[in-house]
Amino acid sequence: MHASSTTALAALALLLSGAASAQDAVPPLATLEPPPVPVDNPMSPDKVALGEKLFWDGRLSGNWSMPCSACHLPDVGWGTGGAISFGYPGTQHWRNSQTILNSAYYNKLFWEGSKTSLEAQAKGAAGGAVAGNGDGSMMEMRLRFVPEYVAAFKDVFGTEWPHSEQAWEAISAYQRTIVTDATMVPFDRLLAGDETALSDGAKRGLDLFNGKAGCIACHNGALASDQRFYNIGVPAAAEFGEDPLYQITLRWELYQKGGSEEDYRTGADDLGLYHQTKRPRDKHKFRTPSLRELRWTGPYMHNGSVETLADVVAFYDGGGGAGQTAGLEPLALSPEEQADLVTFLEALSMDEPLIREEPELPETATWAEFPR
Amino acid sequence: MTDRQIPFARLAFAAGCAATILAGAAVAQDMQGFAPLPDAPEINEVRAALGEMLFFDTRLSGDTANSCATCHDPARGWGDGAAMSTGYTGVEYFRNAPGLFNVADRNYLMWDGRLDGADLGTLVRDMLTESHTMHMDSRLAQERLKQVPEYMAMFEEAYGAEPYGGRIYGAIAEYIKTIRTENAPFDAYLRGDAAALSESAARGMELFAGEAGCAACHGGAMLSDGGLHATGAPDHPELQENADRQITMLRHFATMGTPNYMNLREDVGQYVVTKDDADIGKFVTPSLWDVGQTAPYMHSGVFPTLAEVVAFYDAGNDAIAPLGLSEAQEADLVAFLESLTGDAPEIPDPDLPDYALRVVGEN
Repeated sequence: MHASSTTALAALALLLSGAASAQDAVPPLATLEPPPVPVDNPMSPDKVALGEKLFWDGRLSGNWSMPCSACHLPDVGWGTGGAISFGYPGTQHWRNSQTILNSAYYNKLFWEGSKTSLEAQAKGAAGGAVAGNGDGSMMEMRLRFVPEYVAAFKDVFGTEWPHSEQAWEAISAYQRTIVTDATMVPFDRLLAGDETALSDGAKRGLDLFNGKAGCIACHNGALASDQRFYNIGVPAAAEFGEDPLYQITLRWELYQKGGSEEDYRTGADDLGLYHQTKRPRDKHKFRTPSLRELRWTGPYMHNGSVETLADVVAFYDGGGGAGQTAGLEPLALSPEEQADLVTFLEALSMDEPLIREEPELPETATWAEFPR
Repeated sequence: MTDRQIPFARLAFAAGCAATILAGAAVAQDMQGFAPLPDAPEINEVRAALGEMLFFDTRLSGDTANSCATCHDPARGWGDGAAMSTGYTGVEYFRNAPGLFNVADRNYLMWDGRLDGADLGTLVRDMLTESHTMHMDSRLAQERLKQVPEYMAMFEEAYGAEPYGGRIYGAIAEYIKTIRTENAPFDAYLRGDAAALSESAARGMELFAGEAGCAACHGGAMLSDGGLHATGAPDHPELQENADRQITMLRHFATMGTPNYMNLREDVGQYVVTKDDADIGKFVTPSLWDVGQTAPYMHSGVFPTLAEVVAFYDAGNDAIAPLGLSEAQEADLVAFLESLTGDAPEIPDPDLPDYALRVVGEN
């Protein structure tokens, strides 16, 4: 089934319905609506502006060196650009830093789905011992000694002093603005009626995505993620066997997340969703990531062990990795088909990466400058 | 004398006995409430040896930038030599880092007396895990130590078990119990060596117990009454100018549940523990053993020298009556305080073992 450019829209509808029938009923790829906003954290321009500053502010970490932006840098896709994220100084993180782009759409955050809101995710990352390692009360007091913040928090939240929970709310509001602009995404332009938006290769790739390659089974809907958890057999990060700092963090996670003694003693890899559920069948399952903005957010997978989109496609073409339980099977794609898939995946990204400049941060003042 | 002044009169009898004081150390001990250093505590040597290494190991701080010894440096009287301590990276602390001499024999720990002196393990836990000192996740500390084969062997020998928070704290606590005043002249004097004090120091001792009234609070074997008092010792002026120290102080007050903490502008001391207005500005009476090694002085480190401490008490303030000492008397008091000081510790930094790759399943 190959749609011609002149009948793209009609063919697309067929494609998507065909894929759905082949892969159970799954929602077709679609253009993202504005992200959902929780009723208890409404958006406002002032809140977003405050959140932007806080996103970049090292006050929200243990030793000032790890603001959100330390591991979510706009010019490397709002991640680190490396396989496994930076850790707090003296430590090493254990997973790939996920992009902030479109994080507003997820119903669960972190690779193992351990948080159910951006607000909770921000707090968890800022406080985690191998991430921000910030103490809530210390971070809060630092904010209270910044007159510009005191005024902004009072304006936005109505309280006399900043509270740390409000910082996570403001940062989340900011993150709800770090989303794909559909007018800049070839695939979304196609959906909007621009039949020339995709190259022929990308169109063939879309066909494969929805059909023979079966990607749509999990990467569906506007986010191109079903937000569910699968073990696709991504091998353990090599670093876990090579570097004591990675081993320390792995064991710390196995310990503090409360797995079994055997997991702790013999664990050599990230157990993913299992850390949350403790159900054996959930070992090594990770949340399906969105495929939007892939051009700007490599490397890929929970441990960043797959460097390019071509490698990702080749991984799936081979039926995933050892031990996978996601029902993957070899796809028998030709090299041309694999290339077409990559071309399509790239068409799910904006033409240019979304970049934000680092804002100027306000100064700390002594209590002599406190409001009266 | 206001109602917050210390009742020096209670010790007035000591002055009357001044003539007798010099007659012999044993008599002085009886008459003035002086006593030699407490006996050394029993030490579990294996745990103390482990604790010594841990004391110097920066891997017990969150960002591996500081160890216990960073702020409790044996070369600086087990303090850091600064007026107010630095604390964790990116933090500035708001009090002086006290020396650790004879720490096993203290009634309270911390300047505001928030910890019980009998519980050194909790002191260590507080220092390691508190955000303003070493800011360490104790579970991560455990995993760091488990990644060091030498530590695994030492914990096995010391505890028959693997590294674990409580064992880490216990080993360091055992080590700091070994930190003692060694060969202080006044201790020798109290043990019968009448020649151990210079004439000036001997006159200073007389003043200490008598006219100057120091012994009212700094008596006994620890040269401390083990209590908390408001002597009017000022905060360091820098506290009013350094927002980072203010942040740390108000945050500490907040975490202690102190009423109205955002509006406090001075170090309120024990008030954060008791929330009793009568305890505002009260700090633990520090032991004076080894006081010659532990400058600067007071909770705020505001006085760089012992002479300034003596001058402070001589001048008096709203809380304490002036003493009217002559310059010579002040110098004698300083000479006596110097005689409370023993040998400088000679503690080389231990060679610390490195991380190694673990063998999965073996530990």
